[in-house]
Amino acid sequence: MSVLPHVPTDEVAGPLCAEVTRFAARSIDARAIDRAGAIPAGVLGGLAELGLFGLTLPAAHGGAGCGLLTACQVVAELARFDRSVAVTLGLHLGLGTRGLVAFGTSEQHERYLPSLAAGERLAAFATTEPQAGSDLSNLATRALEAADGSLVVNGRKVFVTNGGLAGLYTLAVATPGLGGRERGQSLVLVERGDAGLTVEAEECKLGLKGSSTTGLVLEDVRLPSSRLLGEPGWAAKGLAHILSWGRTLMSAGCVGTARAALDKVHGQVAHRRQFGKPLAALEVVREQVALLEALTFGMAALVDEVARADDEALLGRSLAAKVYSSESAWRVVDGAIQLHGGLGFIEDTGLAVMLRDVRVTRIFEGANDVLLSHLGAGELTRTKERAPLTGAVGLPLAGLATKADALAAQVEARRQELLARYKVGVFRQPRWMHQLGGACCWREAVDAAVRRAAVSARPEDVARASLLTLRASAEVSRLLEEPAPRDLVEVALSDTLPFPEVRP
Amino acid sequence: MSPDTSVERRVIHIISQLVPVKPEAIKPHHRLREDLGMDSVASMELLSMLAEELELDVGVEDVADVHTVAATVALAEAFLAKKKVA
Ligand SMILES: Cc1cc2nc3c(=O)[nH]c(=O)nc-3n(C[C@H](O)[C@H](O)[C@H](O)COP(=O)(O)OP(=O)(O)OC[C@H]3O[C@@H](n4cnc5c(N)ncnc54)[C@H](O)[C@@H]3O)c2cc1C
Repeated sequence: MSVLPHVPTDEVAGPLCAEVTRFAARSIDARAIDRAGAIPAGVLGGLAELGLFGLTLPAAHGGAGCGLLTACQVVAELARFDRSVAVTLGLHLGLGTRGLVAFGTSEQHERYLPSLAAGERLAAFATTEPQAGSDLSNLATRALEAADGSLVVNGRKVFVTNGGLAGLYTLAVATPGLGGRERGQSLVLVERGDAGLTVEAEECKLGLKGSSTTGLVLEDVRLPSSRLLGEPGWAAKGLAHILSWGRTLMSAGCVGTARAALDKVHGQVAHRRQFGKPLAALEVVREQVALLEALTFGMAALVDEVARADDEALLGRSLAAKVYSSESAWRVVDGAIQLHGGLGFIEDTGLAVMLRDVRVTRIFEGANDVLLSHLGAGELTRTKERAPLTGAVGLPLAGLATKADALAAQVEARRQELLARYKVGVFRQPRWMHQLGGACCWREAVDAAVRRAAVSARPEDVARASLLTLRASAEVSRLLEEPAPRDLVEVALSDTLPFPEVRP
Repeated sequence: MSPDTSVERRVIHIISQLVPVKPEAIKPHHRLREDLGMDSVASMELLSMLAEELELDVGVEDVADVHTVAATVALAEAFLAKKKVA
């Protein structure tokens, strides 16, 4: 039985995570899921029994009413055992149901939330189309208003997580004219049983093999107007919020993956002996392990802060969390494989599946290179000043705070330089925005790590935050100073390098 | 402001390059985000292209409150007038 129904607040995270750990250790076998390409029904049933599908759904409709923070902690814990399971739940709680919870009418809540909370119905979310991925401004899937006020939807969505399992899909579709908006897009709710909806076959993927990914074909799917979610013609408003939840939950999954990889590293370097001693006694190995720990500490700190942020701050901060966490998790798993030597490459070790699973996190929920430019643009228009860490954290961390502030000052100097040099024209400089976005990611991770170390005050946390700060400072200097991106771009884009012909 | 100035035509032309809307469907009262579907980066890009095309010395702080087609036109006209004086 779940601890959930009795304590519907974020205070529940500790005991709940312990239950999740017990359940996962007993029931989840990542390699079996990877081989079978599906999550056993018993595992999904177990998650439902624990009340996890209702974790962030309102208590009035059978959910537990918890916030993003608890959801992140649960998703991170599940990801330690298997990423496909974590993605299935995370998608349901984030992209799948967040729109309905935040913007749904009471009628929509009554109709869908109880079964979604019970896990009898899973949720999915579909924006991506064959011709619309990173650029969602021009969706081909359209919902046109019929004479009787209903909507007729035609089009195709691709790469829909939970597509084959879901009973409810939130779709972003073009709704020209609706709500008086010429080019409007809207969110609509599509049920599994709606006539004209075809769920396509499962995709064969590099990783996350247990997570369902399908296309959806919509042929004259007729929806009553009550299926519109949120403001007609203005999907962007709701989408921003929904995506910020999705990105944060995905980042939490990366924390879990990195922790699982680190656990394996610790076991390996303690027991494997070469040159007459354990690997852990080799200086180069120690340094590498410490760096992986520092990266992971930064991820956990950043995700924890972002998951506590208010809705407004979440929009921007979830971008940094997503990019930093996915890039770092990739590095941590890759580093873990390296430290395992040949064993790392062998499936039984369990790292190969992690590497395959984590690869897509740099692509989905917004490709990192796209998000970096958005982050950079957000930084350029930022009006709120960063609060310095010096003076904000206790004396033992004063030196560290100074270093973190110096890193932030370096980023700020670049920002000011770009604004002065290009004025508003800076927004036509994607390479510079991208670069600034990259520096921002490191700054955000460092700030969060230093604050977390200050709170915990554990010497090992302070050491991890120190190491992360040093590493981040080196990365930011490299990013901002040399080689000058302009020179790089000129060489990269020069005609001497053969490039496929660009067709307009 | 006259209803169809050349600045307005240029603004509308640039918008139609950034988002798939026909120029004739873009109206001065349209909000860049809600009506034209431009996200914050796209609307900054619009202002940036406009500044480049009209050779205006516009800073990021100047465009913070520009949310409609009409406001974009007004901003450009104000900066053009400033340029003439200078
Ligand atoms: C396993 C899986 C699950 C998914 N689940 C969902 C889901 O549940 N719902 C959903 O709607 N979608 C889902 N997606 C789709 C996913 O969000 C998109 O794949 C992603 O947003 C990238 O879009 P794209 O694949 O069209 O890549 P494209 O837009 O074609 O981009 C390809 C690459 O080009 C580069 N690039 C593109 N634009 C820029 C730019 N402006 N600046 C710099 N570089 C750029 C990047 O390197 C990018 O990775 C899923 C995808 C996968 C693989």
